[in-house]
Amino acid sequence: MKEMKPFTTIEEMEADTARLKEIACELCIDTYEDRKKQQEPHCKFGEDGICCRICSMGPCRVTPKGQYGICGADAHAIAGRHYLRMAAAGSAAHSDHAREIAHVLHKTNANGPYTIKDPDKLIANAKEWGIETEDRDIYDIAHEVAEVGLMEFGKPFGTLRYLERGTEERQKVWDAEGIAPRAIDREISTSLHMTNMGNTADAEVLVRQSLRVGMADGWGGSMMGTDFTDILFGTPTVRSTEGNLGVLEENQVNIIVHGHDPSFSEMIVLAAESKELLDYAKSKGAQGINIAGLCCTANEATMRHGVRMAGNFLQQENALLTGAVEMMAVDVQCIFPALGRLQECFHTKFITTSPICRIPGSEYIEFTADDAEHAYEKAKALVKSAIDNYENRDRSKVFIPEHRQDATVGYPTVQIIKELDGVTNSHIIDDPRGSYKPAIEAIKSGVLRGAVAMVGCNNPKVRADYSHIEIMKELMANDILIVGSGCASQAATKAGLLRMDAKEICGDGLKRVCTLVGIPPVLHMGACVDISRMMLLVTSIAKDWGVETTQLPIVGCAPEWMSEKAVAIANYVVATGIDVYLGIEPQVKGSTQMMELITEGTRPICGAGYVINKDPHELVQSIIAGIEKKREALGI
Amino acid sequence: MKKLFDRVFDGADEMYALAQKTLDETIAELGESAPVAMPNTAYGLATISAYLAKQVNNLGDLKAAFEEAKTWNVHEPRLTNIFNMGKGTFMAAEVIEACKYAKDPDPYKGEYHGHLSDAEVRELGVPLVTDDIPGFVVIYNPAPSDEEAVELVKGYQTRGIFVFLLGGVIDQVKRQGMNFGFNVRVVAVGPDIWQVAHIISFVYRAAMIFGAVQPGDKWEFDDYTYYRIHAFVNVFDPVTDIVVACGAGAIAMGFPVITDDEKDMWRVPKSILIQKDTKDWIETSLEARDIKIKITNIDIPVAFSTAFEGEIVRKNDMRLDIDGSKYDTFELVRTAESHLIEDHRIELIGKDIDEFEEGESIGFGMIAEVCGKDMQSDFEPVFERNFHNFINCIEGVMHTGQRDVLRIRIAKSAFDAGFRFQHIGEVLYAKIKSEYEAVVDKCQVTLITDPEKLHEARLEAKKVYDKRDERLGTMTDETVEVFYNCILCQSFSPAHVCIVTPERLGLCGAVSWLDAKATNQLNPTGPCQIVTKDRVVDENIGIWEDVNENVFKCSHGNLEQVTLYSIMVDPMTSCGCFECICGIEPFSQGVVIVNREHQGMTPLGMSFPEMASMTGGGVQTPGFMGHGKQFISSRKFMKAEGGPGRIVWMPKELKDLVRPKLDPVAKELYGIDDFTDKIADETVAEEAEAMMDFLSENGHPVLEMEPLI
Repeated sequence: MKEMKPFTTIEEMEADTARLKEIACELCIDTYEDRKKQQEPHCKFGEDGICCRICSMGPCRVTPKGQYGICGADAHAIAGRHYLRMAAAGSAAHSDHAREIAHVLHKTNANGPYTIKDPDKLIANAKEWGIETEDRDIYDIAHEVAEVGLMEFGKPFGTLRYLERGTEERQKVWDAEGIAPRAIDREISTSLHMTNMGNTADAEVLVRQSLRVGMADGWGGSMMGTDFTDILFGTPTVRSTEGNLGVLEENQVNIIVHGHDPSFSEMIVLAAESKELLDYAKSKGAQGINIAGLCCTANEATMRHGVRMAGNFLQQENALLTGAVEMMAVDVQCIFPALGRLQECFHTKFITTSPICRIPGSEYIEFTADDAEHAYEKAKALVKSAIDNYENRDRSKVFIPEHRQDATVGYPTVQIIKELDGVTNSHIIDDPRGSYKPAIEAIKSGVLRGAVAMVGCNNPKVRADYSHIEIMKELMANDILIVGSGCASQAATKAGLLRMDAKEICGDGLKRVCTLVGIPPVLHMGACVDISRMMLLVTSIAKDWGVETTQLPIVGCAPEWMSEKAVAIANYVVATGIDVYLGIEPQVKGSTQMMELITEGTRPICGAGYVINKDPHELVQSIIAGIEKKREALGI
Repeated sequence: MKKLFDRVFDGADEMYALAQKTLDETIAELGESAPVAMPNTAYGLATISAYLAKQVNNLGDLKAAFEEAKTWNVHEPRLTNIFNMGKGTFMAAEVIEACKYAKDPDPYKGEYHGHLSDAEVRELGVPLVTDDIPGFVVIYNPAPSDEEAVELVKGYQTRGIFVFLLGGVIDQVKRQGMNFGFNVRVVAVGPDIWQVAHIISFVYRAAMIFGAVQPGDKWEFDDYTYYRIHAFVNVFDPVTDIVVACGAGAIAMGFPVITDDEKDMWRVPKSILIQKDTKDWIETSLEARDIKIKITNIDIPVAFSTAFEGEIVRKNDMRLDIDGSKYDTFELVRTAESHLIEDHRIELIGKDIDEFEEGESIGFGMIAEVCGKDMQSDFEPVFERNFHNFINCIEGVMHTGQRDVLRIRIAKSAFDAGFRFQHIGEVLYAKIKSEYEAVVDKCQVTLITDPEKLHEARLEAKKVYDKRDERLGTMTDETVEVFYNCILCQSFSPAHVCIVTPERLGLCGAVSWLDAKATNQLNPTGPCQIVTKDRVVDENIGIWEDVNENVFKCSHGNLEQVTLYSIMVDPMTSCGCFECICGIEPFSQGVVIVNREHQGMTPLGMSFPEMASMTGGGVQTPGFMGHGKQFISSRKFMKAEGGPGRIVWMPKELKDLVRPKLDPVAKELYGIDDFTDKIADETVAEEAEAMMDFLSENGHPVLEMEPLI
């Protein structure tokens, strides 16, 4: 084999982290690793989901001698309520993020700063919702689409509009099983109400509502968040970028954008591109302005601008510890409050921008849709203050790990279709463009065995990124195509698996598909909110194939999940008919019934469930076995 | 529906079982020590060698190799195994064919082509890189009708696609009386699917010859065949499991399969394509393999394609014979003032084809006048030399010779189709305009058959040739300002670079210094780039720092230094499509030169393929060097080692070709007459001792020279 640029191993990543940890030790500041040790052993009752602190009679916990809480709730009710509340909170997070985007859409204006970058998608969405588009100003349409979208959060009657995008079979299942979500806020509210003191104690009912509130996320908030973000900032296309801390620049002003809501980071990226600020940076002795992303803000910005990715969730402290960051500007979700204390050790400015995420130790500069008109000016001011901070960098404290990998990112569904069009044959009638048929043919024939959506966070309960990378490599070796989002795809980026030549470590089937189509073996589909894209992907594949989603040799996998958002996601993925493989146990272990319900009990309802295994090597084998079983059932 | 992978499992098992049976029977008959060899190749059993890096000399070796090949047959449903199994199926097929050749070195007796020689592989080097052969197709099974079979084959032929036929389709085209053979790029390989082994062997030898891929380097072979061999497969219904297994091997190599059989057939994008409309196979296939055909639309009543370049028109099939040995003939390109040229004017002076008797011998002249603000008179001979290629591409027309000694035959079939002289004009016009559009703005063609006018015009032409020769004579490596490189072959042989100088043309024989110069000016970022010669290191053996830098860069770091005039010290590399190869002969301390066409043995104890396999693919092998025929009579040939006086042996045919130029050069260098006669050939010696006797008897100058080693 020809010599290749090396991939970055987990050991190399850990060595970088260890070196940065030493810096933290020298500064006498803790990192998540210290705090994790301090927290251990974790409270067993909490971990098993059988500690109830919903009312002030308790807390109550289930023990061999006390099988019921004071109100009489058993382990199943307690664990089930806790589980539903996690799902509801996750759904709330994604959906509230989407609501903010919808408000920004409502504020769009031909004069900016927020404009419409994908009018075709806007018009398609408007038509889907029966909104008049003929002879109308694009911004009028945008505002009406935003209004109708915002009504999805609180409309008194009916179910969510996006459900009609599902397969006919799914729509029937959702209706028949009572998991078709009504208004998004209503499902969240209902969930909180049901789990309130003195309400539902039947675990199965709680699990059903978990599916429904999850659906309100995946086929509601998240889907809207993704669509409206595309309309506002452009549907992503393929881009080349780089990932890992090595993207921080020794001689440039480093600004890290971190969080999830791109309406803030888009403005920062735009501002950093202005010549005025670039000149200003040069006047301050910097060679340029380097915007790097963290977490899902990185995913959003890289897909639309090629902005490089500094890393994922557990890399946030490391980024600051390099001592080379002039500014860490965050929006919402997954931000460690620890950053507030950590930034005090460096010159780094820590900026919070959302009323949803206020953190002590940060400077708060509010960016909301209400004040959209001034977003660009404020972003410029922020970038300028980062530039001003460049001279304060203490070069003796700087350590930028050298590891960074090339990556090709930006595969929303339309892009995947476009890539697949390239392998169709215009002379064959039965070979239409604009469909997933080429991918389906590759799967049916056995060239590809199936596909896995690799998603989810990092979790210190397991070796950071290790499960992601190990599982992905094994899937690749077994000709299983990967679509990734969130922190999972950043783990892949850091390891080099988003490189075009990563096909060389795949089985021949996946390798050939990558070569013919011209894609990397792991397709970066975006942020965690973009898992909604994956739901549309499997739906369209099922439609083009002529089978149900439950029959597809396609599964989801979240080996290192930690956020409540992941619980919401897992629920809507299962409700869509796709099995979910988890590497971290949901906190319901104290209830045998709940464990049974989430792994098997959902199957009669929606044809899918969880498979849980903490060992990544065993987990990936069960994924492969699961895929092969689905293939066998299809006779392929 | 039977799973695709299961079909491959069963098909591979079938081929392996057949190979086992054949091998067992052959060993029982001949014994394990019986030799196994394919004729005219230095690469043994190329497919087995490519995959297993095993040299097979006898049936015992073959048995051992087959045992290893069996480990490639693993029934696990992953494409890696399927690909291996497909390749294993090819190895099994090669075992079957090797047994056949072990029993009889000529098993097909001309009925089928069977094994392809190394020389045939090398012959395709140039047309492949120039895209004259844009790809290969393997057609298997009978078409729905004989007519359709011919239509398909001809369709590929007219697009320049090289056609391999296997199985029933061969009988179909034979029944239709179609003319086929290697020279017209339609090869009837054999009647059964296992003769596919010869095609695969051909492909792997191309990788070894042009790509310097080493036996056993599976990754490199896959890479080479996928990216550089633009082949694909057409299989007519029914496709059996054994064919599916071969298809797996083809697809592994990067060659898609197009079929009309739907039963148990699985579509795989760009790999297995079901096209029910067999009339649309050509376009479907070309798109599947991403082959784009350069289309030259020329309004003539017969086909025009590079596939007809090697076509021979026999005396009995001839309508008209243009014979330069008896009558005036010439071809000429001339630059003229723009106002004197009427674009696309084609004039015939004298009688047309239909006005001559059938089979009559006549004289004929062609003048193409061109203009353009970037046109230079140095381009004239470059265009003119291509008349040969242009005219040969016409179906039913054969052209040989150049300048004022031509032989052109026009077939009855072409005449019957309506072919007349004006169509030669159309071809020249269209090709000159399309090939040289960067410099030619207008072009008009005059054709002459009127004997008087012809004679006058020929004398005029002769003056032009003389003037050119005068210029060429003064054009030496010392007098020109720059050299050129040529990396045309890098699409095939990525590590090789030619340095082209006035006295050393490219080893393929197709690129002279003027050609390179024209190519550079027509396309400044194209395959021929200027190489300066300012920093001389050693003019005697031909080392320039500039040249070394260029070679290092263009060979991607593969080569650090080449000499232009030595075969002992860092000789120039070759891609593999060289016209001739020379190698040191130790007894005489001279060199033996053999051309690609020569089939026999040389006094080195090696044939052309064996000598050729010593080098190629951008590898430097001191003592062996590939080169063009014209280089033999150059003053710079082996200048560092004493010049062409070192040549001790050449095939007679080659001697006769180079004699007119070689003798004067030898006279100039060594003061001896009739030097060529002092060189031995196959008529006097095929081994060293007899050759030495001949050299002594004839007082060959090498005997007076310093030893080479």
